[in-house]
Amino acid sequence: MNLINLLFGIGVGVSLGASAYAADPIKIGIPVGLSGANSVVAPSVVQASELAVEEINSKGGVLGRSLQLEIADDGSGAQGAQRAYDSLVFQKEVDGIVAMETTAARNAGLPIVNRGRVPLIYTSFYEGRSCSPWMYINAWVPEQQVAPIVDQFMSEYDAKKFFLIGSDYAFGRGMLNFTREYVESKGGTVVGESYLPIDGSDWTAIISQLRSANPDALITSTSGGAPNVTLTRQLRAAGVTIPYGNYAVDEGTAKSMGEDAEGIYIAASYISSIDTPENKKFLEAVEKKFGDDAKTPNELSVPQYEAIYAYAAAVEKAGSTNPVDVIDALGEVTVDGPRGAITMDKQHHAALTMYLGRVTGDGSVEVVRSFENVDPGEQCPQFAN
Amino acid sequence: MPDTNITVSRTHRAALIGCLIGLCVVAVAPFTLDIYLTNILIRTLLLAAVVMTVDILWGYTGILTFGQSAFFGIGAYACGLVFTHYGFGPGWAFAALAIALGVAAIVAAATGWLAFFHGSSPIYASIITLALPIVLTQVIYSGGSFTGSSSGLSGFPTYFWDLKVWFWIAGGFLVLTTTAGWLLVRSDFGRVLIAIRENEDRSAYLGIPVSRIKTILMVFAAMVASAAGFAYAAFSNVVAPELVGFQLGTELLIWTALGGRATLLGPVFAAIGIDTMSSWLSGAMPFLWKLLTGVGFVVVIVALPRGLAPLLTALWHRFWPKSNSMFTEVKITQAPASRMLRASFGDTPPLRIEHLSRRYGSLKVLSDVNLVGHGTELLGVIGPNGAGKTTLMRCISDGKERTDGSIHINNVEIGRCSPQRVVGLGVGRSFQNTSLFDTLTVAECLKLARYRLDGAKLFDRVDTVALPQPALDILKATGLDQKLSNETRNLSHGMKRGLELAMVLATEPSVLLLDEPTAGLTRPERMAIGEVLTRLTRDFGLCIILIEHDLDFVRAISNRVVVLHQGAILMEGTVEEVVASDLVKAVYAGHHEEEVA
Amino acid sequence: MGSVTFDVLTTAAILFVVSTGLMVILGVMKLLNFAHGAFLTTGGYVAYMAGLAGVSPWLSIPLASILGFLFGLVVERIVIRPLYQRPLDAILATWGLGIVISQVFALTFGRGVQFAPSPLSGTVDFLGVEYSAYRLAIAAIAILLAFALIGLLSLTRFGLNARAVIVNEDLARGLGIDSTKVRSLTFGLGAGLACAAGALITPLLSVDPNMGLPWLVNSFMLVLVSGVSFPSLLFASLVLGGTQVLVSTYVSPILGGMTIVVLAALILRLNPKGFSRA
Repeated sequence: MNLINLLFGIGVGVSLGASAYAADPIKIGIPVGLSGANSVVAPSVVQASELAVEEINSKGGVLGRSLQLEIADDGSGAQGAQRAYDSLVFQKEVDGIVAMETTAARNAGLPIVNRGRVPLIYTSFYEGRSCSPWMYINAWVPEQQVAPIVDQFMSEYDAKKFFLIGSDYAFGRGMLNFTREYVESKGGTVVGESYLPIDGSDWTAIISQLRSANPDALITSTSGGAPNVTLTRQLRAAGVTIPYGNYAVDEGTAKSMGEDAEGIYIAASYISSIDTPENKKFLEAVEKKFGDDAKTPNELSVPQYEAIYAYAAAVEKAGSTNPVDVIDALGEVTVDGPRGAITMDKQHHAALTMYLGRVTGDGSVEVVRSFENVDPGEQCPQFAN
Repeated sequence: MPDTNITVSRTHRAALIGCLIGLCVVAVAPFTLDIYLTNILIRTLLLAAVVMTVDILWGYTGILTFGQSAFFGIGAYACGLVFTHYGFGPGWAFAALAIALGVAAIVAAATGWLAFFHGSSPIYASIITLALPIVLTQVIYSGGSFTGSSSGLSGFPTYFWDLKVWFWIAGGFLVLTTTAGWLLVRSDFGRVLIAIRENEDRSAYLGIPVSRIKTILMVFAAMVASAAGFAYAAFSNVVAPELVGFQLGTELLIWTALGGRATLLGPVFAAIGIDTMSSWLSGAMPFLWKLLTGVGFVVVIVALPRGLAPLLTALWHRFWPKSNSMFTEVKITQAPASRMLRASFGDTPPLRIEHLSRRYGSLKVLSDVNLVGHGTELLGVIGPNGAGKTTLMRCISDGKERTDGSIHINNVEIGRCSPQRVVGLGVGRSFQNTSLFDTLTVAECLKLARYRLDGAKLFDRVDTVALPQPALDILKATGLDQKLSNETRNLSHGMKRGLELAMVLATEPSVLLLDEPTAGLTRPERMAIGEVLTRLTRDFGLCIILIEHDLDFVRAISNRVVVLHQGAILMEGTVEEVVASDLVKAVYAGHHEEEVA
Repeated sequence: MGSVTFDVLTTAAILFVVSTGLMVILGVMKLLNFAHGAFLTTGGYVAYMAGLAGVSPWLSIPLASILGFLFGLVVERIVIRPLYQRPLDAILATWGLGIVISQVFALTFGRGVQFAPSPLSGTVDFLGVEYSAYRLAIAAIAILLAFALIGLLSLTRFGLNARAVIVNEDLARGLGIDSTKVRSLTFGLGAGLACAAGALITPLLSVDPNMGLPWLVNSFMLVLVSGVSFPSLLFASLVLGGTQVLVSTYVSPILGGMTIVVLAALILRLNPKGFSRA
């Protein structure tokens, strides 16, 4: 017991000593799925967060205070997220939260964020229309993602009949519902819409449906990982060659799938081959900081990187970490990052530049077209300014 | 003999004291805990109540359930759905709670119907409980914006009471349900549950409605879990499919196993401890933590099947030796004999078998057996091995066994009744190999046998067991009446047989089926049993069907003998007639070694 | 219509292949192996590693079965043998083992999705229908496997002993059959079959630490419905798998996902013996 007291004493002494010449750090909580479904992408998100904090701190921090990360595993689900948010909000008492999470985890965290009054920036693309006065979102929603692919198929391949395949969960259904509306508004028809349970990976029956419906183009929105890649492989094994848009594939997955992925269209707000000085600088910084351990930056890690800059900018603008002031400032600050200049001023969402990409034979993604500042549409009308 | 009233109330007093201490701890705790720990514990305490129900189902009754999370989730979703889509307020809250309990009860009853029936294997029942949360999760995923699909529902209106209030609700719920559970497993009914776990078949043949008890237990466990889920959702303001899923269901099992199954408090504390600890550790090393729990789980199952709790209690008893025996002294009283005499002296024979046949595939084990057993008659059934004697017994005691023909007990056709229903018609059956309940005491076994007639107290123990005269006779003859508090596994072989017979007689049968009741007994024990059997037919009007190899024994006590050969009745008559018959001699020619007494 | 027929046949073949290992163990040992899913996953990783090492994808299947067999022997000795008298505990122990195996894979290979090369790609024109070549190959392999297993059980010494243990273990031991050895070999065989099945289905799917899990419940149901007999397992795969395909194709793939579980549960409720004829 004495020993423990002694250790505690030393710890307190050290931290007091540190605060003597620097104000308390600003704590940013990062709830992320270190385990569970998101654990594949989580390391890149953590790296992006660490990089952003290091860069900001090396330039003197914010308001003379340094930034400090508190990372918590949300288990990619609701129960784990509640624990993570409890720990961040009530135990670590963080000043702000930057979260790349599943929708279930975000929903589970929101009541705690509301109770604890902590500003939250959500950095994962999602199915849209999640609104909380305490939350801002800097990633895409269906309104921004769907149009580039559908437009391309209609203009380039003269596609009229679309077939939609998804995993049966909120994101899969949300994306395809929007796609159906968009296709029909543009004069096309949806000749089939089929879902498999979220962990299902035997697409045999759906592929048979697809073949007998004989569509001009195919758009899929499955859960990431196994369901997505098995669908692609089984489509290829069944000899399906129509234009194929995939909402769930990212560059890394495309690369590992090899030739099966060739020709898949994706739409994204970030593709690593974006040719801007900011992106080049960012990629070099990742390489320099993490070397061989560097995880390829992606559609989920880059918004995370930018969101930490956004939080820092908002604190700077508000002049304190007072949550009410920071929340007001978050809707006004602009971050010029790898994805371009982004402001979360559209009903707590952001207009984004979207890129239409196509997977080439070696698994890399070539940018076919870009669409400047695509508006997220009516996401949270109650926050309209 | 100590005054039994004191011992009985001791259980209640212990429960009361434990309950009060628990409530005091719950009342004080939130003042000493920080917000974070309070938050974590509120959820954990609710889950611990669910773990408690898992222990009752699995630890005590032997139902390995993966699906208790389904009922937890049903409660949570009832709260989330009603508050999101229909309305919020005290009235709506009560309505939602009623829906939570009602739906959980209905689903549990349906699951019980699917999983538990006479002849269902425990593995099959387990798979059904595994399928339940999987199917339910799928239903939630397909629910679109109504159930919120994978995102669940969040931010619905709820009572944002102070954390302390929620802590008191969760803690109070846990303490009260656990107290009720504790009393339940220590009651006479709790012994019935253990009997089902130890020897389900034998329980059925004592007339205990095993499937019904399991289903009812499942329904109540489901309602407790559902109430916990309801509170969980109302507190955390979130419902998600994982609350229903089998991952949570297996976690509940793991906590139960680690804490020590069939200890009730062990799993509860294990749930609180492990869940709280995992909040700390899983963040630091998410995969390693899961790996370690997995390894720990396997090790405990293989090496410490009773979990960690017994280790702790053993340590406790080293410093705090047990002052008194756990077992209640039980007095035996005499039950009114009227039931036993019912119908047995009347005109209709208690047992009438017509055209009975039993086939296994193409193999005919019994064909066209016709037999009438009268009251006051002791009917010996003899025949070489494989003649179908035991199959005959089975067909009389289980309506699902026979392929063809009809059997009337006391003039009631048994139809396709399960064994426990047939017992209700008046059939008592003892088995070829003594099958008893190892960890129960003699008195508890006797109470068990009386369950069908006298029932069992749900939350209490009675200190008397009323037995009919013949059962009392057996106990006296074998000296069992002096060993009522002994566990049956410590009895001698003869005593076990005596106890089994006493248990069968305690069910007050009018037709008694005995499969080699004297096998392995000493000569004096045999004589004693023979006398009892003779008296049973003479004084109590029973019809006894006796399978025996020992012809001397049969000769000494039977009124009539039936010879079975290759599934058919070869001849019927007095012992002398049968023994003198050349036919029987021919049949028995190759089986002399078995006739040797 | 033609492709639906092929869907039914190949789906049944896959279900059969995936369930055989489970059934061998259940039949002889009266033990439901909850680690079956993890064994399938192991087979998937063997195929993945073999692909990395440049071994022919066809060879990865026998390779997986050998490794699975050895792994099964070890597991039987350490985890299963102490639990012969406690079948429900054995379920739990194998379940825990499944968690451990999948976590070991997650720690070693990461949680991400990996790929094993496919020995056959693309489609072939078979009986006038253009159909996935590899699925057809699996169907052929399933038929060969069924014959091989039936042969193993009816023609070999091990098969005879195993059948004796299935029918009456006490009697078999009385006849001088070393039932411990039979059990040990059986578990090895079951694990080997499961790993081979994992390697076999991987080219259609992908490899991740939980890839076996979705197959677990369906194979439990098939095995419980068919009792201990390869012909009735084949029959059950055809009937239940076929119903699944038809429901998925013509009604909804989501209902299709639940078809086997619900149908099997009802069949077993109405007739506890299922499709077995005993």
